[in-house]
Amino acid sequence: MNFFPVFVYFILVVGFAGLMTGLTLLLGSLNKHPTPDKLMPYESGMIPIGSARVRIPIHFHLIAMLFLVFDIEVAFIYPWALIFKSLGLMGVIEMFVFIGILLVGFLYALKRGAFVWE
Amino acid sequence: MGVDQMVESPFVLTNLDKLVGWARKNSLWPVQMGLACCAIEMMATAASRWDMARFGAEMFRASPRQADLMIVSGRVSQKMAPVVRHIYDQMLEPKWVISMGDCASAGGIFNNYAIVQGVDKIIPVDVYVPGCPPTPDMLLFGLMKLQEKIARQKAIDPHQTGEKA
Amino acid sequence: MSDLLVTIIETIIKGAIVIGVLMTSFAYMTWLERKLVGRFQLRPGPNRAGPFGLLFPLADGIKLFLKEDFVPVGADKVTFFVAPLISIVTALLAFAVIPIGPTINIFGYELHPIIANPNVGILFILAIASLGVFGIVLAGWSSNSKFSLIGALRASAQLISYELAIGISIISVILIVGNLQITQIIEWQAKNVWIVLLQPVAFIIYFLSALAETNRAPFDMPEAEHELTAGYHTEYGGMRFALFFAAEYINIVTVSAIATTLFLGGYLGPFVDQFPILGFLYFALKVFLCVFVFVWIRATLPRVRYDQLMSLGWKYLIPIAIAWLMITAVGVVWLGGSAPK
Repeated sequence: MNFFPVFVYFILVVGFAGLMTGLTLLLGSLNKHPTPDKLMPYESGMIPIGSARVRIPIHFHLIAMLFLVFDIEVAFIYPWALIFKSLGLMGVIEMFVFIGILLVGFLYALKRGAFVWE
Repeated sequence: MGVDQMVESPFVLTNLDKLVGWARKNSLWPVQMGLACCAIEMMATAASRWDMARFGAEMFRASPRQADLMIVSGRVSQKMAPVVRHIYDQMLEPKWVISMGDCASAGGIFNNYAIVQGVDKIIPVDVYVPGCPPTPDMLLFGLMKLQEKIARQKAIDPHQTGEKA
Repeated sequence: MSDLLVTIIETIIKGAIVIGVLMTSFAYMTWLERKLVGRFQLRPGPNRAGPFGLLFPLADGIKLFLKEDFVPVGADKVTFFVAPLISIVTALLAFAVIPIGPTINIFGYELHPIIANPNVGILFILAIASLGVFGIVLAGWSSNSKFSLIGALRASAQLISYELAIGISIISVILIVGNLQITQIIEWQAKNVWIVLLQPVAFIIYFLSALAETNRAPFDMPEAEHELTAGYHTEYGGMRFALFFAAEYINIVTVSAIATTLFLGGYLGPFVDQFPILGFLYFALKVFLCVFVFVWIRATLPRVRYDQLMSLGWKYLIPIAIAWLMITAVGVVWLGGSAPK
């Protein structure tokens, strides 16, 4: 029941965004004047060469993988942080071991140059 | 279309035209484009002391899709002409052009084969600003003249080209 | 059944108010930013339309609505339409769990100035905020433009990198409070002190990451004009572009509101207990201060290089955030029973 108002609000927000888009579709058609040059993708006034869906540098994939690992780490730490006070000293030590293992992985990625951007 | 009929009835027309003209003249976003030495004066116009921001025109947009005004600042060489034309074409309607400086307006001192003798040979110009280069005050005066012109124009098809969707 | 109806009606009214306030604050933040940046650069800023140029946002809005509607050739049409919607919806949605004032009594009816108060409020904000990346990625991919694609890639890499730093810096707050419900966090601060006094490092990390998370200068790489034109919204014009713009500014308001709520005591301030209505004022004031700092930083600092941006996030902010998390954990255990519950 906690999330029910969020759902109502979500419908409201989507309706609002849809209204804005609908209005721009309607009003934007008043001055519509498409020409072949206008419909071309913008490339600083040049005619675009080749497809726009180019190959992506590997670095972005590396960042994505590292993000997955660390995001899951964060997701694990949240419940720990919630009941942390009742766990006491033992909880701290366990979490230190967990974070320590992840830090080893972090150092490995650092040493292998995952964060070096050229 | 319902909106078309509403807009074209003469009663609503004048007030709506006034409102839209007022909105457009106070929200002239120029393309971020400089061709030659006049561009330096254009930058000075946007900086302090002259401050184009007073007219709401300091939002230089890097993408022509979001811009309303093209300030042709400097001589247009024959090689640059297709590029300028292409950028003008890629701006979304409605759009306006200020030709800044002697060279852009009429070739200026470059009376030779390499320079387009007036940018109005390739794109329609609304306001010509003379000078070599024009001072920021003159560009601001040109901008205000353009604002007066825009305030008089209609909400739909402001250039009265007769072309409609 | 009638309870359900009351909830629905109450939510619709509150939601309409929140959307209205957020959209108005977006419009006037553009005005504020242009005016402030003008003052920072020793010029008056926009002042021709209306008193103090207050009508400029209206002029921009009318103009943008009447701008030509446009889809580039080769673009993925459905995705091109949906991308700005995702951006604006996630930006507006994240505000649902932030209390903008204390509970007030109107004619015997208890009014909670918060749309929903789930027990995992902070997780909800983080989840919705990370969904916002989709709008940017889809916009870049669907536009069929190289500038858009590269801008979107940079933006997504930047956003996910700094999301980690934000997540870890917020954990330090949870460690002290021991609750994920946002109203509980404010109540804890009412009983004790503002968390920023206990967690200065976490606050700084949060604020720096928030700058990157909202694509603001000096981390506005996705929109680096000199190399990428306008980044992921290069091909967007008119109101669709304005929706992206609105999402960016509403995100600034949201991260400022989160900073206010988690670190700066939310609506708390002198005399709030006697006059609850003052709480709204304090909240607005604190959010405004954060927003002002955002603009101030933009007017002061030059843009960083992309490799500097990534190394700041990964090599400095995340390790420092983790170290501070451990220090906080040890500190809370050390103080043990004396630490307030």
